[in-house]
Amino acid sequence: MLVDFELIRRAQKGDGAAFNEIVLAYRKRILGTITRLIARPEDVEDVAQEVFLRLYFSLDQLRKEEVFEPWLYRLTVNAAYDYLRKQRRRQEFRMSDLSEQQVMMADAAAGGRVEHDEKYQKKIRESVDALLGAVSDADRILLMLKEVEGLSLKELEKVYKVNENALKVRLFRARQRVLKAFGAAVKREGAGVKPA
Amino acid sequence: MYPMRGSDDEKLDALFRAFQSACPNPDPGANFMPGLWHKIEARQNFGFSLQRLSSAFVTAALALSIALGVYMSIPRSIPSAYSQSYIEALADASSLDTPQNVSPARLDLTDAGR
Repeated sequence: MLVDFELIRRAQKGDGAAFNEIVLAYRKRILGTITRLIARPEDVEDVAQEVFLRLYFSLDQLRKEEVFEPWLYRLTVNAAYDYLRKQRRRQEFRMSDLSEQQVMMADAAAGGRVEHDEKYQKKIRESVDALLGAVSDADRILLMLKEVEGLSLKELEKVYKVNENALKVRLFRARQRVLKAFGAAVKREGAGVKPA
Repeated sequence: MYPMRGSDDEKLDALFRAFQSACPNPDPGANFMPGLWHKIEARQNFGFSLQRLSSAFVTAALALSIALGVYMSIPRSIPSAYSQSYIEALADASSLDTPQNVSPARLDLTDAGR
């Protein structure tokens, strides 16, 4: 927890300064999560503000301070999902649409040859964004929370309010879909690769 | 958790890890907090306007109900044309004494003995 329970209680009673402190404590983390979830840097702040706006108007509904963080994640997931749904930005990306260069980037990442320049990072982002086009927006977010944000199944259980087994099944299926798209693209590119 | 881990599986994990480092948590812009409070106030104002509108509507509905109640409770003089009941009006219009309704009773006794 980045804030103490007392601060949450004060914010629940309408203390604006306490709410401000909560936002200051969590905004960077939430901005990062949203950046990875929606892959649209220009809209990240808007979505993050929407998360905190929802937090402000629903904070009084929080019964236990201990579940504040999963609850904030839930608000984040919902806001990101609403954004993705509104934008309808998924264009049925498939790995077949990825350039050979993008697949090579994915391979390079796997090999640990990571170069920290912006161009490379941009391509990594595009590759993951395209790969996750193989699953629904909801599964994309779930997969991202598990694989990239590193949330445990227990934490995801609190965020989604579903049992662990259901989550495991959903994650497994989503990952299998992404893996299938990834494998197919790697094979295709491997078969068509021309010597340099 | 994920059975049948192969090289693609590992590559995908590595790609996700690379993605995480390619997308670090960004620093919020200078307008993040002012923008957030502006949005909060805008939504609050909208909420207050809606609340005011709905309370005005409730007040108006209540006032109208009272006015209607008062109006209905005032005894009004009823015009004489409408003071009779339907039966009374019908009886007045075609009394049993009027000739067209009253005809002499006839008793045919010719076949009475048969």
